[in-house]
Amino acid sequence: MSDNIYSTICPGCNFGCGLYIRENGSLDVDFRKSSPANAGKLCRFGMSLPKFFNPAKSMIDGVETTMEEAAKEAAKRISASKGSVAFLSLGNTSNEELLAFQKIAESYLCTGVNFEALPKDTYQTISIGIPYNEIEAAKHIVLFIDPYEQYPLIVRRLLLAKTKGAKITAVWWKDLMLADENIRPDDISKLALTQDSIIISDFHPLSDTEQVKNVLSLAKNAGAKVTFLKPFANSTGEYIISKDTKQKSLAQLIDDINKGTIKTLFALESDIAALIPSDTLSKLTNLIIQAGQASSTKANIVIAHDPLYKKKGTVINNEGRVQTLGGAGTNGLEALGIIAGSKFDFNTLHESIKKTIGITAVDEFTIPKYDRPAYGAIQAAPKPVEKKPALIDVYNPFMWFDLADDNDFVELNLNTVRALKLLKGGTLKIKSNGSALEKKFKVAPVQDNVLLTGKSMGIEKGIITPVEISR
Amino acid sequence: MEKGEMYVGWSTKDDVRKRGGSGGLVTSMLAAALEKKLVDAVVVLKKINEFEAVPIITSDINEVLNSAGSLHSVPSHFAKLIANKNLKVALPAKGCDVRGIIEQGKRNAINLENTFIVGLNCGGSMHPVVTREMLEVMYKIKPEDVHGEEIEKGKLIFETKDGKKNAITIDELEEKGYGRRESCRYCTIKIPTNSDIACGNWGVTGDLVGKATFVEINSEKGARLLQNAVDAGYIQIQKPDEKGVAMRAKIKGVMEGLGQKWKEKIFVPMDNRLEYFRKELEHCIDCGACKTVCPTCSCGDVSKCTEYHSRGDAYKMSMYHLVRFLHLGDACIGCGQCSDVCPVDIPLTRLYRRFANPIQQELKYEPGMDMQKPPYFEVKLNE
Repeated sequence: MSDNIYSTICPGCNFGCGLYIRENGSLDVDFRKSSPANAGKLCRFGMSLPKFFNPAKSMIDGVETTMEEAAKEAAKRISASKGSVAFLSLGNTSNEELLAFQKIAESYLCTGVNFEALPKDTYQTISIGIPYNEIEAAKHIVLFIDPYEQYPLIVRRLLLAKTKGAKITAVWWKDLMLADENIRPDDISKLALTQDSIIISDFHPLSDTEQVKNVLSLAKNAGAKVTFLKPFANSTGEYIISKDTKQKSLAQLIDDINKGTIKTLFALESDIAALIPSDTLSKLTNLIIQAGQASSTKANIVIAHDPLYKKKGTVINNEGRVQTLGGAGTNGLEALGIIAGSKFDFNTLHESIKKTIGITAVDEFTIPKYDRPAYGAIQAAPKPVEKKPALIDVYNPFMWFDLADDNDFVELNLNTVRALKLLKGGTLKIKSNGSALEKKFKVAPVQDNVLLTGKSMGIEKGIITPVEISR
Repeated sequence: MEKGEMYVGWSTKDDVRKRGGSGGLVTSMLAAALEKKLVDAVVVLKKINEFEAVPIITSDINEVLNSAGSLHSVPSHFAKLIANKNLKVALPAKGCDVRGIIEQGKRNAINLENTFIVGLNCGGSMHPVVTREMLEVMYKIKPEDVHGEEIEKGKLIFETKDGKKNAITIDELEEKGYGRRESCRYCTIKIPTNSDIACGNWGVTGDLVGKATFVEINSEKGARLLQNAVDAGYIQIQKPDEKGVAMRAKIKGVMEGLGQKWKEKIFVPMDNRLEYFRKELEHCIDCGACKTVCPTCSCGDVSKCTEYHSRGDAYKMSMYHLVRFLHLGDACIGCGQCSDVCPVDIPLTRLYRRFANPIQQELKYEPGMDMQKPPYFEVKLNE
């Protein structure tokens, strides 16, 4: 008897939380207290990892097969659909796999985010964030996120900053407990920034690019720093690796599938059901998924490779910290090699990654020195939120999508409860886009006419969805 | 050999004696237990670096012989690791480990008859992230340059790769917010007499200082474990001198006294306790890590604290915490694990102890120190 223990990184978001996965009959999470990003602490998702790491099985058209056979069949179908194949990777795997994937995907790469709609000189600022200890030392922190719901491990850094005298301003639809000042997004003109301010926002496939530009513009005009938190285990690595590659946005990919110009989609470690409507996915001739854990999405081909914690390779967190995944598995690269028609060598890819980042060795305790170039003036035109009820989706990580959770309620304020004469312990009816559902509600200090949800309900159209509400 | 006897001993294996702490007796005793099939598995720390080691359950004698020994910056806890596994196991255990294991035993999650607990004297452990920062801020040395560590005469000493010893008093470090974890400061179990056999370097004298371990047999199992290691040729033992026995008792007394002082310093009476608890808990994100890690909790996934609680509730203090406070009144052993893993840095151990201290004092009950049934387990039906 001997435990199999993997010192790895949580796949829940790009915070870079270190942990141990212990395999001994069952799967257990253990706290890696020496991890520099999180000191061993984990959020609700991290604590749920044994449920998340539900092993995938390789399949071809619903019939179980080996990984090698699935990859060979995928190669065949990709080759047969030349010109109508798209490659999607949101950044949930190692740099080495992403680099291999990018070599295959040159014709049509989608990383889920819309870099094309943003000025090129802002890429680096968006891609690589500020070290957490700089946040702890800030004098003024402005939040365009709900840290409790979206990136919980940043909360302790913010609280530490407060104990050192920082003022925290939240620009959010709900009063945040740790904020000294709460400003509603509609009242952004009240926000006073200085050179001592650090803005914390986020950047993900559902981000409104005008809002991203607005945040960048606010920072630029005040001389403030800005950092974007990201939702996938290796979002930063993904953006660094693909920064010079032509990419398609998620909206473009959905449009191309709907138009029929894309008939085959190859998704690497990407939770597509959370981001691509099921009626769009149903238009594909071939959906090929390569992943380390089972998903509810029905694919024509599933190439099951090692889960993240068993993989060999590196990821880069929000701060730019390079971290090792801790496993020895390279079968993801083997599968990609079969699809590419030539083997990928891990060491060659690894060296290439180190060269790109400008390091000679991986050391999780030292953040590499990245260029943080200034960017030019930005014109932003964020859409004002209409003064009628809106459902605002704040859920994160995206991978909650397939996992059972106790987030099944919406938050609204007491005015709304009174106006609708809602009953304690009762439900709220929500209508949108021809869909209707009933949800439990929780009273919270939320903006009038706003419903906040930490769980995707299936009726959302992006982050903000106009809805009708009634008792 | 029998309960109450004391010895000084060391490993007969050169490499273990050199690498292991204090003569490598504990490592060799565990390896012997495995070889002679006294147990099926052993828990040891697998060292990653000076500030990181991961506990493993192993049946591989070589893995045991190559294990880490004692590391002050690895505040792990072993009770939950062996719970519900039905193992015949031997393991090293700090005072809080022992208490957690005994409480799991009372809750039928560990069979104590099959568990050989090798107690380790413990003056406290440190959080590895805090230790790294402490090295840079207080010692002005790079953590990567550290080669070894020891505690001697109230000083925490780090030896660097160039052979230099860097010492600062623990008092000074703790004044600056570094040093031991808070719960270790007020812990009063320094020699785990609740284990099967208590081991440590306090009481080792003369030429044997740093080269041997002082052991005290606390149970029949402890005697078997030690005798087994002697019979297997893994260790050598001898009777301690009187000076050593006296010195050990003195150190124990001093350390316990310091722990008591810290306890009085931290747990000063307060007004408006409800507001204090609400304020401390207001940032909770419902991760459940404090329950998962708690060495005295054996409820599993379905438990009162989680079943009565819903994230959709808008109470000022969640039912989860209220139920946990009640449960821990007679169960909290003050190990500090909950504070260690809390993602929003709630000082949970301090909060639980604020409930537990008066209850446990009133009931004259110290969880994990013996097999006394927890007072709240007792149900008296009206006639």
